[in-house]
Amino acid sequence: MPDYGRLTLDQLPYTLPAVSPLYPPPPWPLPGARILKLVFETDKEAVLRWLPPALSRSSPPYAIITVAYYPESPVGPFSLATQYIGCRARFFVRGFALQAIVDSDRAMAALREVWGIPCKLGRVSLTVGPRTVAARVACGPNVLARLRMTRGERMDAGLTRFDPIISVRLTPGIEAGKRHALVEMVQIDPGYEVHEAYRGKGEVAYPSASEGEPWHLLPSLNVISATYAVCDTDLPLARFVMPY
Amino acid sequence: MKFGVFFELSVAKPWHARSEFEVYHNALEQIEAADRLGFDQAWAVEHHFLEEYSHCSAPEVFLAAAAARTQRIRLGHGVMMVLPPFNHPARCAERAAALDIISNGRLEFGTGRSATWTELGGFRCEPDLTKEMWDEAVHAIPKMWTQDMFSWQGKYFSMPPRNIIPKPVQKPHPPLWVAVSSPETAIQAAERGIGCLGVSIGTPKEYEQRVKDYRRVVKSCEPVGEFVNDQVNGVTFLYVDETDEEARLWGSKLVYAFSHLAAHLVGISSVYPSPAYTAPGLLFAIRRETEKAVSPTPAGTPEEAPGGGGIIREGMAVGSPETVIKQIKLWEEIGVDRMVFIINTGEEIPQARVLRSLRLFAEHVLPAFDKGAARTKPAAAKGRLAEPAMP
Repeated sequence: MPDYGRLTLDQLPYTLPAVSPLYPPPPWPLPGARILKLVFETDKEAVLRWLPPALSRSSPPYAIITVAYYPESPVGPFSLATQYIGCRARFFVRGFALQAIVDSDRAMAALREVWGIPCKLGRVSLTVGPRTVAARVACGPNVLARLRMTRGERMDAGLTRFDPIISVRLTPGIEAGKRHALVEMVQIDPGYEVHEAYRGKGEVAYPSASEGEPWHLLPSLNVISATYAVCDTDLPLARFVMPY
Repeated sequence: MKFGVFFELSVAKPWHARSEFEVYHNALEQIEAADRLGFDQAWAVEHHFLEEYSHCSAPEVFLAAAAARTQRIRLGHGVMMVLPPFNHPARCAERAAALDIISNGRLEFGTGRSATWTELGGFRCEPDLTKEMWDEAVHAIPKMWTQDMFSWQGKYFSMPPRNIIPKPVQKPHPPLWVAVSSPETAIQAAERGIGCLGVSIGTPKEYEQRVKDYRRVVKSCEPVGEFVNDQVNGVTFLYVDETDEEARLWGSKLVYAFSHLAAHLVGISSVYPSPAYTAPGLLFAIRRETEKAVSPTPAGTPEEAPGGGGIIREGMAVGSPETVIKQIKLWEEIGVDRMVFIINTGEEIPQARVLRSLRLFAEHVLPAFDKGAARTKPAAAKGRLAEPAMP
């Protein structure tokens, strides 16, 4: 009788490596977050090209970019910039996470594997000045996006709105003829306790038309709003899991 | 209790060359039928750029066509956008007066300010300012109708003395209304002596406090017009059939289609934080309840919407005549004066069925309500005698 291993399924940790998992399971508290959010009208064809069939576009189509700095998280401080398509999941307003840049490798792994946030590793900066908040998103030699909120005025924190996120959790297949081992959509509803909120004039620019990280695919045709918030938030368990 | 029909002129995709033509002409046929059958009012919205949801961007033209085809039914702007970036208030007054003349004094003048980014952004209209713009316009327009020389120096528009013509047939002017989708707007309507035109599709219970607050405040109003219109108008869906089962089948299609189209609008509060728009999104309640009704719960069992089960909520006039009477009585009990009905969306219900539903309503439901008890005359205010609308 051979000696079999003792790492049974119930002893397998939440993620790998088993001897020292890369990150803890959700929920992740993210206190003291600073988030710049730009909402802008964008191109209809681009929106339809990149939305899953279960989601539909609004009229007019719009996109959202959030740039967040999380000073505390279970994997340490990190910054995350995410580009969303404003969409509808049947009757409700959602943000479909299209692409993201994060500046922490542990956070990148967790965001991709757990929440389906399609992250790549890069550089994200958020600079807060008097009445102005500026963000820069870069990957390799390319500056993918520059965002600014100017003429910021304090606003009622209760008016701040972050829509639930829909993302695609995807594990590539390894069996012949099977492209995906797992592909599903998840809805994530982070909680937000907003302490301070500001609204101002927004600007969105894509300095590099990078083929590798094509943020310019969702052009800014008309900026709708720019807001900045200081809040406690989290990354919770998925609220819904849906077939793709 | 009085009854009316309400038109968004929804044109569902896929579109073909005659899609809009069919919707417009079906709606006109429905108004003709409503006129013959004893409905009191037909209302048309003004919306711009709201693909599928509403292709009714020139309601004055639509209502003029309705006026030419009907004899008795009152015709309502439900509502006209009175913000200067959309329509100069003088143009609002002119067009409304012309329609009042064409219809021989059958106009109900509803006012509003839009709740979508699609529209406000399209006209470069600052959302924060829409309430003030609306307020200025509703103070000015009645004066345009009643003064030989009107001039205005306001915050959002100004003009030198001009005689704004034509003048309406109804004297002193048509009844004024405002679209109400929040408790705050109901109070603001009451403070100004303007009728409360409900546009959020809620249940009687959800409306009850709003009606009470409106009634309380309107008693001490400072009317913007020459008389007080203190009526409350509720809105819901209507589909009557011979059996509840058949009616709910078609009524569910109607509610689902409407909710689905509404969900694709871009409500101001979803994209632009503004103290002028604090409601949780456009037609949120009906979308929430419809979603509940059609979505499996995490346990996999259908969740019942409150008050009626499934997609049909309490207060919706969907069912056999007996059921519809019971549902409308709920509205009557909370003090609503009038109910207006959405009778189709995106031609989801075939035209013959819509017309049959209207006929069944007229034959079996209307007689159950004492029209004589309805509040047909505007109330007097500030010592001025109100003049009744033309019959």
